[in-house]
Amino acid sequence: MLEIKHVSKSFFGFLALDDVSMRVEKGSFHALVGPNGAGKTTLFNVVVGRYPPDGGEVRLEERRTSGLATYRVVRMGLGISFQRSQAFLSMSVLENVMLAVLAHQGRSRALMRSFSAESEAKTTAYELIGWVGLADKTETPTAALPLGDLKRVDIAMALAGKPKLLLLDEPLAGLSRSERVSMVNFIEGLLRGLGITLLFTEHDTDAVLRLADRITVLHQGRVLAEGGPDEIKNDARVIEAFLGEEYAEG
Amino acid sequence: MKARGWLYLIAATLLAAPWVLPGYALEVAIQVLILALFATAFNLVFAETGLLSFGHAAFFGVGAYTSALLMQRASWPYLLTLPAAVGTAAALALLIGFFSVRTSRIYFTMLTLAFAQLVWAVVHKWYAFTGGDNGVTGLQPGQLWSDPHALYYLALLLTVVTFLLAVRLHLAPFGYALRAIRDNQARAEAVGLSPFGYLLAAFTLSGALAGAAGFLQVAWQRSAFPDFLYWTKSAEVIIATILGGAQSILGPSLGSLVFVELGAFVQSHTEYWPLVLGLVLLGLVLFLPRGLAGLGGARAGD
Ligand SMILES: Nc1ncnc2c1ncn2[C@@H]1O[C@H](COP(=O)(O)OP(=O)(O)OP(=O)(O)O)[C@@H](O)[C@H]1O
Ligand SMILES: [Mg+2]
Repeated sequence: MLEIKHVSKSFFGFLALDDVSMRVEKGSFHALVGPNGAGKTTLFNVVVGRYPPDGGEVRLEERRTSGLATYRVVRMGLGISFQRSQAFLSMSVLENVMLAVLAHQGRSRALMRSFSAESEAKTTAYELIGWVGLADKTETPTAALPLGDLKRVDIAMALAGKPKLLLLDEPLAGLSRSERVSMVNFIEGLLRGLGITLLFTEHDTDAVLRLADRITVLHQGRVLAEGGPDEIKNDARVIEAFLGEEYAEG
Repeated sequence: MKARGWLYLIAATLLAAPWVLPGYALEVAIQVLILALFATAFNLVFAETGLLSFGHAAFFGVGAYTSALLMQRASWPYLLTLPAAVGTAAALALLIGFFSVRTSRIYFTMLTLAFAQLVWAVVHKWYAFTGGDNGVTGLQPGQLWSDPHALYYLALLLTVVTFLLAVRLHLAPFGYALRAIRDNQARAEAVGLSPFGYLLAAFTLSGALAGAAGFLQVAWQRSAFPDFLYWTKSAEVIIATILGGAQSILGPSLGSLVFVELGAFVQSHTEYWPLVLGLVLLGLVLFLPRGLAGLGGARAGD
């Protein structure tokens, strides 16, 4: 589904990604983990075309995405929810999701129709909003939403284009314990049901072990290990790297 | 019901004005309409995309010069020069926008200013074609358009059309897409919107309409001057817009009314218009950050 080949990226001489290769299999839930600053978000940004890689390439179903503009990558079937999720804050939940739907249908350029009369997009948007559990907040301005709900809006927008592959950067960050549980259940239930391939990052180890079929560990811009949850849990290098990190922080 | 009542009242006032106002006041009213058209066009970009253009005088001026030169050199009837004025202004906006809309906010403002000053310098110096700093004077827009009543209604028509277009855009998917790009460009790209095309289209439309304002100015003044393209003209439209309230669809028109009327009043009594204007702006920033329309509370057009 997604193939990342020998990707490198540096910022002002600092090597944030160093020859990273990995592949995400169709239908899998693939976690990308690693300590802060490991390069996870940077790798996502390369995948979505926000940063051109210094070397290597990314292919989505054989088609090259690296170096393309984000909106083109999105049109190739990628859904994106950022680490710092932010909706279009001047609009309601419904308007946010409707706009995402219209954009994906190539209908957002219209000048002579009224946005509010786009009944087809509205129906789709209601469905998406229902999926993410915000049916009672469709008219709420997104500027007034708590972070947990914003993430859900973000995911609804990411799903609007019926993506083949969904990228979620830290879907649980900033959520309370109970919100985390419901978000994990939500991701599990919804995305498995839809048959969407998922690539996500997360610091919450329990959530990673519960959701992921496969885990890639990134450390200082390099792939440290890759395998199933059980392999990774018991991988000596991973334990060492993370322990080292904790000691360093303490 | 209440809103509709207001609408009828405003429409009646606007239609009756030429028959009530004495000659000089009618001339001022035409200026109000021209600036209202210009400001509404400017605000298409400012309010919907968040980009502050400091170069809109270029479109106003090029529209004016197109109209003036076609009348003077090719003897075109005045009204026929409208599509040409709008067309050249649109073409210039497309060109300037192509190089500007990609840049981030402050660079956009500086670039539009720089481009506009460049166009001004050309118009100001190219004596053989534009008449240089003498401008194009002594134009005869024909008997009909020399009558301020007719010109008033023409200005009213074009202003209302522009206003309706702005409302249309605000409520259309296109307007929502522009505001999405304004709110969060990265997020907009992540839902598949390509900002460049949207911003360029909005900028071009806005420039084209500013050209129509320039076209009207030519008949009002029977001349075109390099001043039309100078940065102070760009500042004028920004001030009028912010004075009225950029967040309201009626704001730019309201601001234009106050700006022009106040200017005419103050200038007829003192020579300290810039000073008064400075004080008005200061008061505005301190006490009315959302402009005069902010006094009314609700956001019109939402
Ligand atoms: N635009 C940028 N300019 C300069 N340095 C950057 C930029 N983006 C990321 N970096 C650096 O690259 C490194 C990797 O950052 P990245 O955000 O990818 O880490 P991460 O794994 O996502 O961390 P976290 O878990 O905290 O989100 C960091 O040292 C960061 O400071
Ligand atoms: Mg990150």
